[in-house]
Amino acid sequence: MAKKRIIFSILTLLTILLLVAACTGLQSKYEPPARHPSAEDLDEQPKVCTNCHDARGEYVAYENYVHTADWGLNHRRQAYQGEAICAMCHQTSFCSDCHATGIELKPSLKNQSETYRPMQHRGDYLSRHRIDGKMDPTSCFRCHGNPKSAETCVRCHG
Amino acid sequence: MRTVTCYCGWFLGLILLVGLLSAHSVGAATRIESDTIFRVFQRDTAAEEDATVFPVYEYLQIDTGELEDYGVSFHLYGWGRADLVDSEYFEDPTAGELLYGYVEYRADANQYGLRLGRQHVFEGVANETVDGLRLSGNLGDYFSLSVYGGQPVGLNAVQGSDGDSIVGGRLAHHNGSKYEIGVSFKASENDGETAEEMMGVDLALSLPSDLRLSGYSTYNQESEDWAEQSWELRVPLGRFTLKPYYQQFSYEDYFAAGANAVNPFLLLAQSTEELTAYGVDALYQYNSSWNFGCKVKQYAYDELDAAQTYSVLAAWQGENRTQYGAEIGRTAAGDTADNDYTLVRVYGYSEAAGGRLGMDFLSGDVLLAQYDEEIYGTDSSVFASFGGGKRFMGDALSVKLSGDYSQDPYFDKDIRGTLTVSYNFAQ
Repeated sequence: MAKKRIIFSILTLLTILLLVAACTGLQSKYEPPARHPSAEDLDEQPKVCTNCHDARGEYVAYENYVHTADWGLNHRRQAYQGEAICAMCHQTSFCSDCHATGIELKPSLKNQSETYRPMQHRGDYLSRHRIDGKMDPTSCFRCHGNPKSAETCVRCHG
Repeated sequence: MRTVTCYCGWFLGLILLVGLLSAHSVGAATRIESDTIFRVFQRDTAAEEDATVFPVYEYLQIDTGELEDYGVSFHLYGWGRADLVDSEYFEDPTAGELLYGYVEYRADANQYGLRLGRQHVFEGVANETVDGLRLSGNLGDYFSLSVYGGQPVGLNAVQGSDGDSIVGGRLAHHNGSKYEIGVSFKASENDGETAEEMMGVDLALSLPSDLRLSGYSTYNQESEDWAEQSWELRVPLGRFTLKPYYQQFSYEDYFAAGANAVNPFLLLAQSTEELTAYGVDALYQYNSSWNFGCKVKQYAYDELDAAQTYSVLAAWQGENRTQYGAEIGRTAAGDTADNDYTLVRVYGYSEAAGGRLGMDFLSGDVLLAQYDEEIYGTDSSVFASFGGGKRFMGDALSVKLSGDYSQDPYFDKDIRGTLTVSYNFAQ
C-alpha cells in the first residue's frame, strides 16, 4: 500500500512538473533579483525596506518585510509567502541555525555573541521552559514536534 | 549502516551532477564558510562530578555554481562535534548532521526553481527537512505553485527511513501587493503508517487605511478538525503600529496522534484541551534609532485557568549592528504551571566600543528571572554573558571569545567559555 502511494506521488509530481514547465510560457511581470544590492552598491546598509521602497509596492508589500523588534518571533508567514524576498539577503544556512532538523547546539549558544538577535532559549531556559511549555506547548511543538527534533526533550520527558 | 550507505550514494550522485553542470556554468563561484566552535564547561557525568567537557563543533557551508545570479548551484551545510576529552557527557563522543545538501536550479523567468537533495521546506503547513525533490514557480502573474516529495528527515529517528515518505505542496493566488491567498497540503508516513495529513489556508490582505489582515488556518485530515487558527491585523497609526491577534489550537488535532507522535507531545495529542490566545503587540518607532514595544497576551483554556504574559521593551540601534536594548516581562501562568515569573533582559552589541579595547566588537547581555515559587529550592536565576571579537584578513577570518555565567535552579555556579573561529572563502 505504501509503495503504491509512493508511486502515485511520484507520478503526480512528474505530471505537475510538466504542467509547470508548460505554464512557464506564461511570463510573470515581476522577477525579483537573485540578490539584493549590497551596502557597497547602495552606499548604505539596506536595513529597512521602506527607507527606499513604498510600503505597498506594485508587486511587493515591502512593509511586511521590515525587521521590527518582534520580527524574530513573527516572520513565519512572510518567510513562506515571500521566500524569494528573504533569499535576496539571507543564505539558507542563516535560517537553518533555528529551522532545521538535527541541531544539537541551540542557536543562542552557536551565536553566543549575537545578543541583538532575540533568541527563545537564551540563558536559563531549562527553568523557564517548565512554565512556558505548560502554558503554551504549541510554541515548543513548532521546532521540537517530530521524533528527531524531540530527541532533545526525550532525555527528560521519556 | 544502510542509511549511511544511502546518504553516501546521494552525495556522490549530487557531487557528480554538480561537477558536470558547474563545469559548463558561466560565472560559477565557490564560497566556503567554516565556523569552528570550541566550548568548555563542567557537568556531572556517570564517571565523576564536575567533569570538564570540551566539545569542538565544526559548521561547514559550501556553495558553488551560480550564486549571485540564476542558474545551477550546489549547497551544503552541516555540522560535526567531537568531545576532545571524552568526558562521557554526550551519549556519543562524536556526532554530526547534514542540515541541508542540495542541487538547485533557478530560472530567471517565473521564479522557476528546482531543488534536489536534503532541504528544508517551509511553506504553508510544511516546516520539514526533506530528502527529496522540490519544484516551484509562478504560473503567470497571478498564481504560484510548489510541490515536493521525498523522505522526511524528522522521522528517520524511528526505525530508520524505510517506509517513510512525505508529499505536499502549496498553490497560491496573488495580485501584486494587494493580496495573496494560499492553499497547502502535506501528507507523511512513518514506517508505512500515516504520520500526518494536514491542509492549510494562508492569507495576506491589504485593506484601506494601510490596514493589513494576515494569518493561516490548519486542518488535520486524520482527525477531521481544525488544528490551528492564527490571525492578526496590522494597524499603522503614524509612528505606532498595533497588531491585535487571535490564535486557537485544538490539542488533539494540532499535536497529531499518528505515527509522528512523540513525547512530550503524545499526551497532549490525547487531550481534549483547547487553547485560545489573543493579545496585542504595540510598536513605536520614535526615530531611526529608537524603538519601543509593548506586548500583552491572554491565554484561555477549556480545562485550565487563564494565563497572561506582558512585556515592554526598548531598543536603540546605531551604525552597522550596534544595538542596545532592555526588556522586562511578566509571565502569569497561574494554575497551568503553578508558577509565575518576572524576566528582565538587558543586552548590548557594539562595534564602536570594541575598538577601544582592540576588538572589532563587544557584546554582552544579562538575564534575571524571579520565580514566584521555588524550583529545586531556588526562586531566581541570573545569566550573564560577555564577549568580543576581531576580524582579520579583510574580514575573511574572525575570532570571537565569550564567556557566560549562570546561577539558577539547576546550577549553583555554571561558567562556560566559547571560542569561535570563522573563516570565509569566496572565489
